[in-house]
Amino acid sequence: MKRFTNLLKKEIKELVTKQLVISLAFTVILFNFIGQVSKKEVQKATGIQTISALDQDGSPASQALIKGLESARFKILDQSGKTKDEAIETAKAGESKLLLVIPEGFGESLTELKPSEIETYSFMRSFSLIGARGQIVVQSVISALNEALSNNFLSEKLPEHDPASLKRPIKSKDFVVVQDMMAEGSANMVAGMISQQSLLIPVVLMMIVIYSSQMVISAVAMEKQNKTLETLLTVPIRRTSIITAKMLAAGLVGLISAGVYMFAFRGFIGGIGEEAAQAGAQAGAPAIMQKLGLTFSASGYAILGLSIFLAILVALALAMILGVLAEDFRSAQTMIMPLMFMVMIPYFISLFADMNTIALPLKIFILAIPFTHPFLVSQNLYLGNYGMIVAGLAYMLVVFVALVIFAARIFSTDKILTMKLRFGKKKTAAA
Amino acid sequence: MENVLTVRGLKKSYGTQMALAGIDFDVRAGEVFALIGPNGAGKTTTLRIIATLLTSSGGDITFLGRDLRKEPDFVREKISYLPEEAGAYKDMKGLDYLEFMANFYARTPEEEKDFVDRAVAITELGDRLKTKVGTYSKGMTRKLLLARALMTKPVLAILDEPTSGLDVLNALEVREIVRRYVKEGTSVLLSSHNMLEIEFLSDRVALINKGLILDAGTPSELKGKHQASNLEEVFRSSLR
Repeated sequence: MKRFTNLLKKEIKELVTKQLVISLAFTVILFNFIGQVSKKEVQKATGIQTISALDQDGSPASQALIKGLESARFKILDQSGKTKDEAIETAKAGESKLLLVIPEGFGESLTELKPSEIETYSFMRSFSLIGARGQIVVQSVISALNEALSNNFLSEKLPEHDPASLKRPIKSKDFVVVQDMMAEGSANMVAGMISQQSLLIPVVLMMIVIYSSQMVISAVAMEKQNKTLETLLTVPIRRTSIITAKMLAAGLVGLISAGVYMFAFRGFIGGIGEEAAQAGAQAGAPAIMQKLGLTFSASGYAILGLSIFLAILVALALAMILGVLAEDFRSAQTMIMPLMFMVMIPYFISLFADMNTIALPLKIFILAIPFTHPFLVSQNLYLGNYGMIVAGLAYMLVVFVALVIFAARIFSTDKILTMKLRFGKKKTAAA
Repeated sequence: MENVLTVRGLKKSYGTQMALAGIDFDVRAGEVFALIGPNGAGKTTTLRIIATLLTSSGGDITFLGRDLRKEPDFVREKISYLPEEAGAYKDMKGLDYLEFMANFYARTPEEEKDFVDRAVAITELGDRLKTKVGTYSKGMTRKLLLARALMTKPVLAILDEPTSGLDVLNALEVREIVRRYVKEGTSVLLSSHNMLEIEFLSDRVALINKGLILDAGTPSELKGKHQASNLEEVFRSSLR
C-alpha cells in the first residue's frame, strides 16, 4: 500500500501542473466574465425598452395600442407632430430600437371592420437575437390587440355566439400516456422537458471522459517519452498497481477538472440561461412530469451515477491501452480521437433517433459502444425498462474488467515495451 | 564464490527474428560481469530479460536460487536496473526523485533516509539536487540515475551501457562509482561496446554476437587465450 500511495502521489503531482491550474482558473474567470456580461445584456433586453411611436391617427384605438405597449414595459417616446421621415430620423439618432407608425384612419378602419395597418421600423444596431427581441414583443402586443378587437367585432355582430368558439371551432384536449400513467399535456412539451433534464448527462460524461482519458494516455506516453517507463517497471511494485495508480490519479484529476469546468460553464449559462429558461418554462410542466412518473427518485440518481462512473472506468481502461500504443506525448494527443468519437456517436444518435425503431445492425453497433448506456439510463428509468438498465450496467462492467485484464496483460508482458502504433501500422520493436 | 545469477540456454525471439539463440553465463557474488559485443548482438535483450522487463522464449534463469520467471516480484526487490537511455521525471527535483525511488525499496523511514543519503553522496551534486531534473546536463542525469540504481545496495545491479554518451571525465567518475560499490557487496552485470571500459571495470567478460556467446573469462584469460593485447583484438579473434 505504501508503494502504491507513493506512486499515486507522484502521478497526481505530475498531472496537477501549473499550466493545468492556470488554465482552470482562467476558464472560471473567463466564463464568469462572459456570463456576467451576457446577464447584463439579457437584463437590458428583458428590462424596460425604449421605442418611438408616431401616432398619426390619435383615435381611441391607437391610444389603446400605445397604452398596451406601455403596460408591456415599454418606454414610449412620442413622436407626434412629425412626419414619418422625421420620426424615422429622430428614432434612428436616439436609443429607440423600434419606431411604430400608426397611420391616419387606423381607428376608423377598425370601426368599419376593415383591416388596419401599422408600420414598424426596427433599427438593427447589432445582429444579436437579444437585440431583435423588441419587435417580437411588439408583435405579441399587436396580436393580443388583434385578438381583443376581433372578439369585440364578433361579439357585436354575432352576440349569441362565443367569439372564441367561432374562431376555433375545433379544440383539442391533449393527453400524454407513459406506461400506465396519463396526464393532460402535449407530448412535445414532455419530450422537451426530458431533453432539458438529461442535457447535463452527456456534457458531464463527455467532459470527464475526455479529460481523464487524455490524462491517462499522456501519463503513459510521457513515461515512454521521458524514458522512465523501463525503470518504473523494474521497481518492486505490482504492474496492476501501476495501472491502478495511473487510472486513479487521472480519474481524480479529470473529475476535479471537469467539475471546475462545469462550475465555470454554469457561471456562463447562469448569465444567459436562467432568465431565458424561466421565460421558456411552461406553467404546470413539473406537475405533469410528476403525474407521468417522469421524475428521478434518489435510487434513480444513484443508478445514473453508477452508470456514468462505470463509463468513466471503461474510458480510463481504454485510454490506458491507447497510451501504451502511443509512441510519445504528441502521438498520445491523437489517440484520444477514437475515444471522443465513441462518446459522441451515441450522444448524437440518442439525440436524433429512437433506439427502439432504428435498424437492428445499427442498434447492435450502438449498444456495443459502452458509452451509449449512460445516455439511455434516464430514458429507461422513465420507461421502467430496468432489464435494459441492468444489462447496460453489466455490459459496462464486463467491458471494464476485460479491458483492465488486457491492460494488465500488456503491462506484464513484453508488449508494454514493444507495442507501438504509428500511422495505423502496428510495429514490433526489437531490442 | 557462489553464483548470484545463473543463465542457461537463454533464448529470445521477436516474431521470426532470433535475438538470443541460447546463451549461458553466471554472475558471481561481488563481481562485475560484462557482456560485450556490437550493436544488435543481444546485450540489451539479455539485460532486459534479467531485469524482468521482457520474457524469455526459452532457457532458465536462476536468481539467488529462485526461478526468475516464476518469482519476478522477488527479483525486483533485490535488483536494480539502469537502462541505456534512461531518464528521470523532469519536473521532479533531484532529491524528490531519489526519495520517490527510495520509497519503493525502504521498509522504514530510517532506511529510506539511508538510501537517499547514500545516493546524495554518490551523485556529488550538492545543492543542484534541489533543482528540477529537467535542468540537469546529461552527465548529471546519468550520475543521478546511477545513484538511484546503487543507493539500495542491490544484490545485483544491471547497468546497460552505464557511460553511454558521457564525456571522458564523467565516464571515469561513473566507472569509479561502480567499482566502489562492488567492494561494498553489490554484484554488477553490465553491457558495453566500449571494450577498454570493460577491461578497466570487469572481473569477467562474455563476448556476445548475433545472440550467441563466443567466449567468456577474465580479461587476462581471454587475452592470453587469443594472444591479444586488448579485448578489441580478443573480440576480433573470437569472431574468426
